Amino acid sequence: MNSPRKLDPVDLELFNNRLSAVAEEMGVVLQRAAFSPNIKDRRDFSCALFDAGGNLTAHAAHIPVHLGSTPLSLHAALQSCEMKPGDVIMLNDPYAGGTHLPDITLLCPVFRPGATRPYAYLADRAHHADVGGSSPGSMALASEIFEEGLRIPPVHLCRNRNYVKDTLSLFLANTRVSEERRGDLDAQVAALRAGEARVLELANRFGPAKLSLAMSELQSYSQRLLTAMLKRIPEGRYCAQDSLDDDGSGRGPIAIRVCVTRRKGRLVVDFAGSDTQGKGPLNANLAVTTSAVFYVVACLAGRDIPANAGMMKAVEIRAPEGSIVNCRFPAAVAGGNVETSQRIVDVLLRALASALPGLIPAASCGTMSNMALGGYDPQRKRFYSYYETVGGGAGAGPRKRGADAVQTHMTNTLNTPIETLESYYPLKVRRYRVRRGSGGKGLHRGGDGIERCIEATAPARLTLLAERHERGPYGLAGGACGKPGRAILERNGRKRRLPSKLAMNLHPGDSVTILSPGGGGWGTKDE
Amino acid sequence: MKTDATTILIVGVDTGGTFTDVVYRDGRRRGRYKVLSTPDDPARAVIAALRDLFGSRAPSHLSYGTTVATNAMIERRGARTVLIATAGFEDLIEIGRQARTGLYELEPCKTEPLVAKRHRLGARERILHDGSVELALGRQDVKRLTTRVKQTGAQSVAVCLLHCSANPTHEKLLGAALAGLGIPFTLSHQLSPQSGEYERCATTVANAYVRPKLATHIDTLGTESKAHEFRVMQSNGGIISAELAAKEPVRTMLSGPAGGVAAAFRCAQAAGYHRVITVDMGGTSTDVALIDTSIPRRECSEVARLVLRVPCIDIHTVGAGGGSIAFVDEGGSLKVGPQSAGADPGPACYGRGTEATVTDANLVLGRIIESNFLGGHMRVDTARARQVLSALARRMGSKDAEQAAEGIVRVVEGNMERAVRLITVERGKDPRSATILAFGGAAGLHTCGLAEQLGVERVLLPPDPGLFSALGVADGSLLRDQTLAVRLIDPSYEQLRTLAREAATATERSLEDAGVSRTKIKTTSFVRMRYLGQSIELEVPLNRGFRRSFEAEHSRLYHYSSPQRPVEVSSLRVSSTAAAAAPVSRRRASKRAVDQSLPAARTAGSVSVFLQGRRQKLPLYERDSLKPGQTLHGPAIVVEYSSTLLLRNSWTLMVDAGNNLVAERKTAGKTAGANKKARRSGDG
Repeated sequence: MNSPRKLDPVDLELFNNRLSAVAEEMGVVLQRAAFSPNIKDRRDFSCALFDAGGNLTAHAAHIPVHLGSTPLSLHAALQSCEMKPGDVIMLNDPYAGGTHLPDITLLCPVFRPGATRPYAYLADRAHHADVGGSSPGSMALASEIFEEGLRIPPVHLCRNRNYVKDTLSLFLANTRVSEERRGDLDAQVAALRAGEARVLELANRFGPAKLSLAMSELQSYSQRLLTAMLKRIPEGRYCAQDSLDDDGSGRGPIAIRVCVTRRKGRLVVDFAGSDTQGKGPLNANLAVTTSAVFYVVACLAGRDIPANAGMMKAVEIRAPEGSIVNCRFPAAVAGGNVETSQRIVDVLLRALASALPGLIPAASCGTMSNMALGGYDPQRKRFYSYYETVGGGAGAGPRKRGADAVQTHMTNTLNTPIETLESYYPLKVRRYRVRRGSGGKGLHRGGDGIERCIEATAPARLTLLAERHERGPYGLAGGACGKPGRAILERNGRKRRLPSKLAMNLHPGDSVTILSPGGGGWGTKDE
Repeated sequence: MKTDATTILIVGVDTGGTFTDVVYRDGRRRGRYKVLSTPDDPARAVIAALRDLFGSRAPSHLSYGTTVATNAMIERRGARTVLIATAGFEDLIEIGRQARTGLYELEPCKTEPLVAKRHRLGARERILHDGSVELALGRQDVKRLTTRVKQTGAQSVAVCLLHCSANPTHEKLLGAALAGLGIPFTLSHQLSPQSGEYERCATTVANAYVRPKLATHIDTLGTESKAHEFRVMQSNGGIISAELAAKEPVRTMLSGPAGGVAAAFRCAQAAGYHRVITVDMGGTSTDVALIDTSIPRRECSEVARLVLRVPCIDIHTVGAGGGSIAFVDEGGSLKVGPQSAGADPGPACYGRGTEATVTDANLVLGRIIESNFLGGHMRVDTARARQVLSALARRMGSKDAEQAAEGIVRVVEGNMERAVRLITVERGKDPRSATILAFGGAAGLHTCGLAEQLGVERVLLPPDPGLFSALGVADGSLLRDQTLAVRLIDPSYEQLRTLAREAATATERSLEDAGVSRTKIKTTSFVRMRYLGQSIELEVPLNRGFRRSFEAEHSRLYHYSSPQRPVEVSSLRVSSTAAAAAPVSRRRASKRAVDQSLPAARTAGSVSVFLQGRRQKLPLYERDSLKPGQTLHGPAIVVEYSSTLLLRNSWTLMVDAGNNLVAERKTAGKTAGANKKARRSGDG
């Protein structure tokens, strides 16, 4: 559906600027007012603006994993809830518009004064540090979604600008750190209010009809940019395969297969042949798979295409239902978002490497090396929940060596400063350094991973969710693989290797070391 | 020049740009001077200028704004620096916060740290968050480290240990040992004492890295100028003694832009405006800042993609300048910047550039007067500008070069608007109640347009906009900031006041050391606090009502507050300041009555300008001929050396008693409403 262009190049630019500013300004409010380190320091959140038809118009994210999944949230909310002025809908159910349970999405309609139908919609999503379930941090090694935490289908969090007390108290009763949750929700609501004020101000300033036109024009603009970008991929069909070490329940390896077809202005990404969903928490729902595909598309574009419905029109994703990349209820999904999403990127890039050999880098570390620690802090007399991801080596590319010790692909969260971590939790960081020599060899060397060692000073529950412990990230054009990851427990002076996915109790004095994978190398030296 | 050698001679120098700007006050006489900068050794231009102006006379006060430290960092030509960090954490400086710079890059980048891996040494010690010592730093290890430092041939040393703010004993031990080596060293707890090890470490390393270079430079200038008081501008907009600047050069990194905002602050105060948006538009970028009764500060800044955590003026920079390049992208949108044609090849009208820039657009629209460009010293090629704009117009589907040029102007003003929104709306402040203070070569052409987009109704153009930084440097107040890391939950006012008083003795002493008498020093303290568990903090003045101020500020910024929640105070900032003794800039109260009986301003002819979709004949005024009290109505063009003001329709300009041009927009009443409507339809 290519509507005729009605904005001139100047207005197009001006409205692109103004509409993306709505989402960005919401993000500023959310980040500043939030309580979880996950949101404030690690920037694990995103904000979005939709037009009256519910089409994504502008999106501001600091991490790509939210990229393609917000439209599904609005869709789910619209299907099950009536939205009146001042209402806010809350959800996290991966089977009804969510990604994984810690990501809580709030949505609201924007009404012009006196109007009976919404003029636009807004959404913000933030990763909360805990939403209940069997492990602190709600990233349990579960086999069903029910163990992962509180599942929230689209429900009213606010009506007529006031909290619905029942919803709020039900939610807060199901999290380990309810004070912090309340603060984060306040921040998310504040961000929606800021966005609402901004949309109404723009509608007043330029006229509602013109602003609506601009919203749809911005989508066509993205579609044109994407079509232009796709032309750089030679027409054809490119296939590849990669795998996850295991599904978290002992079954593995789990294969992900993809065939990418570029025909005319379209890209079809077909995951047919990928393994069926697993018993563990590594399942990705369609929202997560969509985000991974759009992340790769945005990278190929080489610059920011406004992320909106237009950009998504040119790409078709086919993922077999019940597979690891489009799981069925009630599969557990905590790791789909953080681990499987990385592997989907790896397999997509591997497929595209045969189409664009001079552009595509070798595999990056391919895991977020998630680590959650929690329990009761006897010194501060409170429950705590700490969650962190560890960066790794970036894959080497045709132009240069891979970056060391960095967040790659689907995440770009910051680390928690050691001085903050030790002040708030009964934990001590023992080592934090570059894992030298872990990058794959080649004409261009893969980036080195990270070594991070944390000691528990009080009994704690540890959950690990990591990948690439069996096979290192692949090299390209003859480059070697990066070193696989490792997890090591040190107890009473003895060291032992831990599986990449586990939950266990730590005693005071126990320490856990994460050695994250290096990136793959690119090319051979004697070339 | 025959002057009594004992006459007070105050000199301000800014070496930021192509020119080294000098402003001075010699007794009662004021003057200004410009010489070409000497980038290989900036001191040469300064000394030459001083000789030209004053012969062998020594200035009584020399205030200096410099980019020596900044350039050393950007060009990576600093000292060979060794970092001593807690063992096991030597790579902190390299890992940083783990984040990459671009989100969607196939080959992500990280900025290389200033200290190579082989120059990072681990100290066997560990202090915990409460200041307790888990592993004491032994004498043996101190010895081992100092030996290693010597072996590496270090020219400068940075020391940053974990939790050193909670307990600085180990850093001090290392400092004492390093002092024996005669190599300059920087201890992190003294420079940037807040918690957050990476930012502290990066700041300390940067300081050590540029320190020898700035110290040598300051030493040369001090000796050759023979100035009695030699002071240097800091990024926070205040000046400190040259001696202190040489020790803590990271504090001077953004002194150029800071000088501009500091001058703007004084200019606005004298003119009686308390809420001011400064807009400094140059060739490649625009700097904006919001002054809301005081100069805005922030804790962190970035130079050469590396973080620095020392107080600096909260300035936001956007890639919108005269040289910004316009192009139509693949999706059919007109982009302007951030790429700039710079000085080489420069805009198309300079004769070599092949792409349309903002300057070319202004020229074709008739807003830059050919014969007046840089005071008529530079020839511009209007035909060439028209040619590149016509080509762009075809790609835009516009009817002619003028229409394309108007498009460029609207987009660049849109980019500036976004920048201003970032420092106002996104900080919870309404820009509409502010006055725009415009300086820098290109600002006057866009300031009325920008004001209209923002809903701002008053614009101020100070005299000598091109020397603004130098004036800010010359008249800068002495300012010493000290941050004190604390971690207190629900502390009482008395508790905080005691801590602040202790810190104030140090800041006040450093001003006394710079020659200020105690009675002239004013000290203010600020609390950085948050709700317990939050991590971004708000800063409020320390007084009895600090908790209430915090709630109010929180509610203004985030639309809610929770007075029942505990708060955590993470640091105190103590700021001691003393005003310049005898300012170089004329500080006549601008609100003073002006002579109303003057005849109307006389035009110097008329120019044909393309404005709001059509060509119009506009009256041309020369700024030098405008007298306080005179008014004129837009549309009009006012020219001066290196700067032009485009006064749009419905704007009225008045010259105030301080020689500022004050332009105001009529919005009240029916006429204004009609104007607004006309403009809106013009936009569409």
